[in-house]
Amino acid sequence: MSVASDQELEKFRLEVRAFLETAPTESILEAGRKTTSVFAPFAPTMAWQKILSDKGWVAPSWPKEFGGTGWDVQQRYIFAEEYNRLCLPPLLPQNLQMVGPAVIGFGSDQQKAELLPRMLSGEDFWCQGYSEPGAGSDLASLKCRADKDGGDYVLNGSKTWTTYAHHANKMFALVRTSSEGKPQRGITFLLLDMNLPGMEVRPIIGLDGCPEQCEVFFSDVRVPQCNRVGNENEGWSVAKYVLEFERGGSTFAPWLNPALERLRQQCGKPLSAQGERLIDDPHIRRRLAALEVDIQAVEHTEKRVNASLKHGENPGPMASLIKIMGSEVMQSFSELQLDVAGLDALPVQREALEIGATPGDIVPEAHSLAMPYYLNTRAASIYAGSNEVQRSLLAKAVLGL
Amino acid sequence: MQFQYNEEQALFKDSLKKFVDDNYAYESRCKLVDSAQGYSEAHWQKLAELGVLGLPFAEEYGGFAGDLPFLTAVAEEFGRGLVVEPFFSTVVLAGQLLASAAPDSIKTELLPKVADGTLKLALAWEERGSRGNPGRTDCTVVDKGDRAILQGEKLAVLGGGSADAMLVTARTDEGKLALLLVNAGVPGLTIKPYALVNGSRGATLSFSDVEATVLQTDALALVQACLDRALIVLCAEALGAMDALMANTLEYSKTRQQFGLPIAAFQALQHRMADMYIACEKTRSLLWAAIQADAQGDCRRAASVLKAEVGSGGRYVGQQAIQLHGGIGMTDELNVGAHFKLLTQIDILCGNRDFHLQRLSDLAEVH
Ligand SMILES: Cc1cc2nc3c(=O)[nH]c(=O)nc-3n(C[C@H](O)[C@H](O)[C@H](O)COP(=O)(O)OP(=O)(O)OC[C@H]3O[C@@H](n4cnc5c(N)ncnc54)[C@H](O)[C@@H]3O)c2cc1C
Repeated sequence: MSVASDQELEKFRLEVRAFLETAPTESILEAGRKTTSVFAPFAPTMAWQKILSDKGWVAPSWPKEFGGTGWDVQQRYIFAEEYNRLCLPPLLPQNLQMVGPAVIGFGSDQQKAELLPRMLSGEDFWCQGYSEPGAGSDLASLKCRADKDGGDYVLNGSKTWTTYAHHANKMFALVRTSSEGKPQRGITFLLLDMNLPGMEVRPIIGLDGCPEQCEVFFSDVRVPQCNRVGNENEGWSVAKYVLEFERGGSTFAPWLNPALERLRQQCGKPLSAQGERLIDDPHIRRRLAALEVDIQAVEHTEKRVNASLKHGENPGPMASLIKIMGSEVMQSFSELQLDVAGLDALPVQREALEIGATPGDIVPEAHSLAMPYYLNTRAASIYAGSNEVQRSLLAKAVLGL
Repeated sequence: MQFQYNEEQALFKDSLKKFVDDNYAYESRCKLVDSAQGYSEAHWQKLAELGVLGLPFAEEYGGFAGDLPFLTAVAEEFGRGLVVEPFFSTVVLAGQLLASAAPDSIKTELLPKVADGTLKLALAWEERGSRGNPGRTDCTVVDKGDRAILQGEKLAVLGGGSADAMLVTARTDEGKLALLLVNAGVPGLTIKPYALVNGSRGATLSFSDVEATVLQTDALALVQACLDRALIVLCAEALGAMDALMANTLEYSKTRQQFGLPIAAFQALQHRMADMYIACEKTRSLLWAAIQADAQGDCRRAASVLKAEVGSGGRYVGQQAIQLHGGIGMTDELNVGAHFKLLTQIDILCGNRDFHLQRLSDLAEVH
């Protein structure tokens, strides 16, 4: 870990702040406010990715030679703090936290040269084709087949829960190239275009009534063999590497802290003409304070784990600790936010969530987000390795059970 | 001491179960929820025929004088089946309040029409600022001798868009809570209908110089008593949803295979389902406790105890049902999400857990 002085870090913070405060357009800010899941609204978020990419700040976690920023862990944390303080839309993780690291770690020079710049700029948007109807927590049991034929693989099968597949022009997928030996052995990591003949994408309607995940069907879809990342049948190692990257890359506290502050301010607004405020209710004050305790615990665990890492190292099984803590505090936050919104959370205000929509006149904007956010945040303990699976990992890898 | 439905009540409950099984397959329910009206007039007539719409009213008003367990029996089945017809708003809330607060002439005119399915009602009491407390309103009413004039706004009024008439609470000059009757078509009343998160319909009602009939000028005690009984019915609906989630999750966990085993084989999940079961049983016990308290004449505490427990127990069962279903639980493809949303809505309606804990501590006496 490079040891920047406090003074240098403060200077860095001001530089970051100056840019982030002026660079986003109105619709990018709106997308930030109206983000009700981990996946921010697509179009404005990709526009924002382009702006950050032009600035060279789009992938703080990437090695500098491939377009990273060269910031140390503390600087990255500061960037995340400033970013979230302004409630900017989180960049979609698929390019930057998933397929990018896979290509950097295992891709050919040609793949790196061709693909990485387009991932950074957002010219390509990649979706993650891992899960299948029968393969969720037990990912290694995946069945989507890729049979060799001439210079191609021929794909048959399906993927599901593929987030934003309906927006993507590319997919990185795990496919089965062999059924011999352990299930992990016969998996290959493949890159493909989304418009290939034989592919079909069907959006799935989520609890909030909006399409976010998709099913993707393959029927004799031909993908050139040179689109493979790493060796045939060794895709599992690539996927595992990316998973640790995905988990290690996420920090929760920089988002939670300002979110709690916004909620507190919301509680300070009068409920009606009679002027009562929720913040004057001792029960609400205590719940806000209890959440502050939980968030502090996340923040200082994140910082402590980060501080123990050498540059470029990822936190390994300690990432499970952070994922469990962070996701569960996010869920408590979503519950308190819902209770604060009260009756205002009940009317379904789907139109008011669209970017550029005139604000709904039924309930205040902040309250119209509380229910979709609560519903969507239930997924935080399911995706990126369910919290049950993470607890098993902790028990095994950290406690040695 | 009653801890289960008696024979007559159980038979009635079975007839409702059949209604739900015949009419409320999840796909048909989804179509209904997406339709313009949001419920089915044919179902409504069927419910009138089954005696559901006149259930609590005296026989002279076309009712069946069914006591509270009849209403909770209906509600349990409706919670299980995710029924969206405005039974709770028309019969349990507004109907019962009208029966206890209106003069005989109005009851004779309106209640038989409620019972035969030709009139729908709503009770407009909750507001942004009320947060569970019926005594706290920003709506005002001024008595002009021959008529009363109503101002203000009510939020998320259940069945507010389909009601032909509504009961409305408002503050009088003397600071009392008045209960008023307002017709849906009256000038100055704006109705903004919308879907609520559980798929049923609600509305924001705005009153600007609206002419209203005064039913009571000091109605807080009546309104509160009616709400307490209604809370018990609402919680029975929640219990129906909790039982359904329990059953569906149990079933799913036995069929869903991961790592070569049904996920029900994993002890972590077995314990989770045991805890879900405990939550359901706690609610069932408190439901019957509340029914008994009502029979003995004062259900204030028991209703708040029940509602507070449903707030946390319902939340737990709903959240864990989704968790154990994994990705599919996050979609609208199974009814799991719909039950979860119903429980979420019930916690928010009529005072959430925090409100009822506060009310309980206010009702407690310290010697
Ligand atoms: C919002 C969202 C976005 C997603 N985006 C993507 C995407 O872009 N690409 C992609 O490939 N996938 C994506 N997923 C899929 C996600 O990775 C899976 O949902 C996850 O792996 C769980 O799998 P499952 O849904 O099949 O649940 P299951 O694996 O069937 O699990 C069901 C329940 O059983 C529990 N369980 C399973 N095994 C065990 C065990 N051994 N011990 C104890 N408990 C166990 C689980 O924790 C869970 O509670 C997304 C999911 C969600 C919800």
